Amino acid sequence: MQLKKHKKIKHALTAATCTLLGVDATDSIAEEGDWAFDSAVLYYSEVDRVDAVEPVISATRDFGDEKLLNIKLVFDVLTGASANGATPSDQPQTFTRPSGKGAYTSSAEETPLDDTFKDTRIALSSQWEQPINRDYKTGFGVNFSTEYDYTSFSANGNLSRDFNKSNTTLSAGLSLAYDTISPEGDIPIAFSSMAIDSGQDDFRTEFNATRGDGEDTKDTVDLVFGLTQVVDKNTVMQLSYSFSDVNGYLTDPFKIVSVVDNNGRPVDYLYEKRPDSRNKQSLFWQAKHHFKSDVVDFSYRYFWDDWGITSHTVDLRYRWKLGRKSYLEPHIRYYDQSEADFYHRFLNEGDSLPDHASADYRLGDLNGITVGVKYGVALANEQELSLRLEYYLQSNDNTEGALPGILNDVDLYPDVEAIIFQLSYNF
Amino acid sequence: MIEGREIDHLVNLKAEEGYWLGSFEAMASPCEIFMEVEDQNLAARLLDIASVEAWRIESKFSRYRSDNIVHQINNSKGRPVKVDDEVAHLLDFAQQCWMLSEGMFDITSGVLRRVWHFDGGSRLPEKQDVDQVLSHVGWHKLTWSRPYLTLPDGMEIDFGGLGKEYAVDRSLLLLQKETHGAVLINYGGDINAKGQRKGGKPWSIGIENPGQLNTPMGVLKVNQGALATSGDARRFILNNGRRYGHILNPKTGWPVEGALRSVTVAGSTCTEAGLLATLALLQGEEGEAFLKNQDVTFWVTP
Repeated sequence: MQLKKHKKIKHALTAATCTLLGVDATDSIAEEGDWAFDSAVLYYSEVDRVDAVEPVISATRDFGDEKLLNIKLVFDVLTGASANGATPSDQPQTFTRPSGKGAYTSSAEETPLDDTFKDTRIALSSQWEQPINRDYKTGFGVNFSTEYDYTSFSANGNLSRDFNKSNTTLSAGLSLAYDTISPEGDIPIAFSSMAIDSGQDDFRTEFNATRGDGEDTKDTVDLVFGLTQVVDKNTVMQLSYSFSDVNGYLTDPFKIVSVVDNNGRPVDYLYEKRPDSRNKQSLFWQAKHHFKSDVVDFSYRYFWDDWGITSHTVDLRYRWKLGRKSYLEPHIRYYDQSEADFYHRFLNEGDSLPDHASADYRLGDLNGITVGVKYGVALANEQELSLRLEYYLQSNDNTEGALPGILNDVDLYPDVEAIIFQLSYNF
Repeated sequence: MIEGREIDHLVNLKAEEGYWLGSFEAMASPCEIFMEVEDQNLAARLLDIASVEAWRIESKFSRYRSDNIVHQINNSKGRPVKVDDEVAHLLDFAQQCWMLSEGMFDITSGVLRRVWHFDGGSRLPEKQDVDQVLSHVGWHKLTWSRPYLTLPDGMEIDFGGLGKEYAVDRSLLLLQKETHGAVLINYGGDINAKGQRKGGKPWSIGIENPGQLNTPMGVLKVNQGALATSGDARRFILNNGRRYGHILNPKTGWPVEGALRSVTVAGSTCTEAGLLATLALLQGEEGEAFLKNQDVTFWVTP
């Protein structure tokens, strides 16, 4: 009546069950092992300046038990012109290209732009996440990116722990990066005068005299400590502190500073020079609240560094559900920054050289506002298509006090405007 | 109300602490779907998918309906009936279970209910009546040649011993195509859960009859995996001080002696766990020994 000595039938039964249910795994009927893909194309256009197209493809594989592997590939194409740092003048100005091959000219009263700016970048990153036990979770990642004159390697690790029935999470992360820059035409010697080709025989010798090593490096250590707290069923908050220490070549080899005379006219262009270390810190606070169906997301960041820059960023998004399948998400972001100690829009002829100087507008006293909207729609099978359109306006303030001569009549601090358009599809 | 749905097919969705709980009635049982997903719309869609699947399986395999394939087979009067892929898969599975259990699990044994009434009364059937019905029992008497099933006149098949567990697994599979969030399905005590909950905490499921399980307070904690229960302690006949449980031996037509009253088995699928639980009951006094030999986690009520 009974099975002979209770023979073990479980394995055969498992196999039969899997056949019945149309699954091939013997111990699990989960559909783990499927890759989920995200793809996006970002189009960024600064008015009259840089255009960037950035396709991104990201794949995540769920190995079950919260083990996740993400691989992301980004391909950037940047074209256009970027302000080289020189002041506008009442005369046309000629500059030597960073490679030393050829020159570019800006018209009178125009902000000098280096139009040789074209680059493609490929970035590959991979991230693994897994829980260690009930409370601890860890993640590791490596990133590599390369472009014509720049390569970057980085590795990161993080650890988080849940407390208080998972309502509180403490996390710590460490990231190490190593970057190499090797510009065409080598790295300019800081504060050397730009050699201009006006037909002289020994231009090449003059240019070479401004050049140093073929490449330089920098290394970065980042630390982040975070606290995430579930406040109530619909609200979650995050507080984090970041510390970053960068050492090495931090100067922009393509940027120069104008030396102007009493009339404000340029007499010399010096390659800029930045300190060889930077220590950055920031505090970040974010709160997300779910209403019945809408979500509001607010964040604030306070940033400071030993270059004398402090900044505030306020970001607000509201995800407004339009029925079951789509949403509209208005977004507004405000950014305000004080200038770096060594930021000089120009240098005066006859003054002694400071230790460091840069006229890069990104280090100046500035504020920026972004307004935009994102529209997302859920397609069949959890696929989502979204469109993002944003407008960015950045204004720099004059902190130089009295301006010499013609500089009063030109726009030393032109606004930067940009349009960002992004199309994302995840499947 | 979705168009075309029957009036008694109602679903209910409510928010619980950190998850959504959907409920409905199917297969004469209360059915629950626990979903750890953020979005109410997604939860509603998942509930819809699971309930539609449960009702689909119920209507397709119920032996109480006259408009389905089971009715068609049971009234085929010896003529071959062509079945679809899903029915064929279930027939293959039933055949494998019949072989693995050496004839103890038999989907043709349902006709024995014509003579056995486990209503708590004391009346035993006459031996000749049992023997007469038993002549219509036995998987080996039918001809299963995919996709044709030929059932001798007077025989019947019944997927009742598989249907609920199969519905649980099928529903879960469908939900996993829609979400990576943690989901638990409970159709009348047959359970399957997949996906780690946030923070790794287990699901807590209220158990209707805590006496059936060695778990405290009538609350079952489930992380991932399946649980199925077989047996019903209330269904028996008491005759001359002797207790006849409702588990019938398809070879003799009489109740299995010394069968456990209730068995719960944990496994990776509800179908497999349910089969092991049913087979354990069919082993009579050897049920517990049988389960120990299968390397599964189980709970029994002797």
